[in-house]
Amino acid sequence: MAIDYSGQPLLKVENLKQHFKVSNTYTVKAVEGVSFEIYPGETYGLVGESGSGKSTIGRSVIRLYDPTSGSITFDGTDITKKLTRADKKKLRTEMQMIFQDPMSSLNPRKKVEDIIGEGLDIHHTYENRAQRDRLIKDILAKVGLAPEHASRYPHQFSGGQRQRVGIARALIMNPKLIIADECISALDVSIQAQVVNLMKDIQQETGAAYLFIAHDLSMVKYISDRIGVLHLGHLLETGTTEEIFSNPIHPYTKSLLSAIPEPNPIVEKNRVAESYDYKTSGIDYNQGFNHHVGGSHYVKCTDQEFAKWA
Amino acid sequence: MADVILNVKNLDISFKTSAGMVHAIRGIDFDLERGETVAIVGESGSGKSVTMKAAMGILAKNAVVNSGTIDFTYKNQEGVYGSVNILDKDKKWLRNHINGKRISMVFQDPMTSLDPTMNIGKQLVEGMLLHTNMTKEEARAKAIRLLKEVGIEDAEKRMRQYPHQLSGGMRQRVVIAIALSCDPDLLICDEPTTALDVTIQAKIIELIKRVQKERGISVIYITHDLGVVAKVADYVNVMYAGKIVEKGLVDEVFYDPRHPYTWGLLSAMPDLDTDDDRLYTIPGSPPNLLQEVKGDAFAPRNQFALEIDDKEEPPMFQLTKNHFAATWLLDERAPKVEMPKELRERLDRMKREAEKYGN
Ligand SMILES: Nc1ncnc2c1ncn2[C@@H]1O[C@H](COP(=O)(O)OP(=O)(O)OP(=O)(O)O)[C@@H](O)[C@H]1O
Ligand SMILES: Nc1ncnc2c1ncn2[C@@H]1O[C@H](COP(=O)(O)OP(=O)(O)OP(=O)(O)O)[C@@H](O)[C@H]1O
Ligand SMILES: [Mg+2]
Ligand SMILES: [Mg+2]
Repeated sequence: MAIDYSGQPLLKVENLKQHFKVSNTYTVKAVEGVSFEIYPGETYGLVGESGSGKSTIGRSVIRLYDPTSGSITFDGTDITKKLTRADKKKLRTEMQMIFQDPMSSLNPRKKVEDIIGEGLDIHHTYENRAQRDRLIKDILAKVGLAPEHASRYPHQFSGGQRQRVGIARALIMNPKLIIADECISALDVSIQAQVVNLMKDIQQETGAAYLFIAHDLSMVKYISDRIGVLHLGHLLETGTTEEIFSNPIHPYTKSLLSAIPEPNPIVEKNRVAESYDYKTSGIDYNQGFNHHVGGSHYVKCTDQEFAKWA
Repeated sequence: MADVILNVKNLDISFKTSAGMVHAIRGIDFDLERGETVAIVGESGSGKSVTMKAAMGILAKNAVVNSGTIDFTYKNQEGVYGSVNILDKDKKWLRNHINGKRISMVFQDPMTSLDPTMNIGKQLVEGMLLHTNMTKEEARAKAIRLLKEVGIEDAEKRMRQYPHQLSGGMRQRVVIAIALSCDPDLLICDEPTTALDVTIQAKIIELIKRVQKERGISVIYITHDLGVVAKVADYVNVMYAGKIVEKGLVDEVFYDPRHPYTWGLLSAMPDLDTDDDRLYTIPGSPPNLLQEVKGDAFAPRNQFALEIDDKEEPPMFQLTKNHFAATWLLDERAPKVEMPKELRERLDRMKREAEKYGN
């Protein structure tokens, strides 16, 4: 499906800041002025090291947090302002999040069928019980779980099975935007592939857009149309998957790409990964601003850095 | 010193569920020697976590151990080596003598092993005070050092934070720090680096390797990340539907896999050099363990399945001193079957690359 980049973006995040005040002397600046857009039917991959602010961006977008500053527009509605009832309902059905930590996001006292059916129940999107059960069975099958799994509780699953419950819960609502936070990282490669293929199929069918948060670049490469590279709360580089993989500009992006491990024991045991240390790099992210590399490829840096790297 | 620290024999476990008995572990045998690193890989639901929970004596309440022993060998307070069968001991005894102290486990879901109401500094320090002779100050200093070593910046300040104030990967690293804090003999890591980016993953792996060298501990990695396995493991066990279907030195299993399931697993690994629109997946789904499996559990998904696969379970065929695989394809009467061409080419490519390192 071709994505129409000339139309309205489905999600527009502008200069988002999200700070957490932990104590009087310690504030974590988790997100520091991040802007990006996602178009209908598009998959935007957000990558970056642990603690760089990926989940926080996802949680801000779905409004689990009140942003410190900046604005978020979803489907034409500014969702950073006070939400009306109708806005809230729209947000809860049309935007879904698959959480990183499946165990803590699934109610341990509920059977899986009721966890998955919760959204349907709240918004009464079925005619009768039989239809509800069918919807649940269908989605279970799609994520590779068996019908008898419906009556189990979350702790009675393996880690990967539990992660698929979270995926099923989001997909069943047919949302316009799915924020998938590390949704395949606990899965083995074959099931990762199955879920990624499934997400692609659903996108073909329904035109859903994805904000795909991950640290595994090889999977991100497969699923994403465009990629954003995040470090210490700054979006350092963004572009199409092709642009980022074939022509990475920022040294941080380069270090991320250099370190992808392969299933090759002798090579891996001899490999020394390229390292990147912000503190000694001489780079100050706060001084940088977006430079256009070409196409949809941008990198955040100073003029001197841009002249040096590009 | 080639002594066995963990010996699992004929382990067989079911779970009671409302739909019936789930036969999750169907006869597992393996040994782990002191100082060794073993990786367990296999499809989601194949029984990796359950096996290791059994080794820690922390199976879920609805679990039934049908048979088997798990012998753990360690030096007791008097400095004498002895073995216990973990399955014979109750949870309380294990908590006092084994868990957290001699065997520690990094769980797949970090939130399940962290207390949401306690700051992480306290959680780290408490374990050390409980299991070692350290003073409070020593424990605190070690906690900060470990947090730095797992790559957590501002470690002193982070000590006062609660689990929900940390990112997913930071929580995972805190759990790793806790597991290392009491100097265990055996470290079991269940998907320890799944939520971590490659740079931090490399850091953690280096840390574990260093501790392993210094103290000669044994490590079991459960992971689906074959790249990580390639990096860390001496041996690999490949699990399918509650059984080990192939095992051997990591080089043997990765460069010369023999079980069709291992072929599938290696083929499904995304490759940065290939540009297919769809990823390879192993067709079909794993067997329903509510019903008893007849013959080879992988047969319905195996394009190379033989007639006998539906009737009789294959034994473990020995290929080298360490390399074994349970598939009838290795029987002398079986037709000669080669692994899929794409995989062959990929392995050849890998081997050529490996040759650059003079092996
Ligand atoms: N308490 C339980 N009750 C019922 N079934 C269970 C229970 N715990 C585990 N199982 C089942 O046992 C099988 C093995 O689970 P296990 O957690 O060992 O899988 P795994 O290999 O670790 O998979 P993953 O890679 O997804 O974590 C699965 O089919 C799972 O659903
Ligand atoms: N509720 C909170 N209170 C205080 N600090 C927080 C809170 N939530 C997140 N943070 C901090 O914000 C930073 C970014 O966290 P975030 O969870 O967004 O990272 P991430 O990129 O998702 O990392 P990971 O890959 O490890 O999941 C971290 O330093 C984290 O400690
Ligand atoms: Mg996260
Ligand atoms: Mg598991």
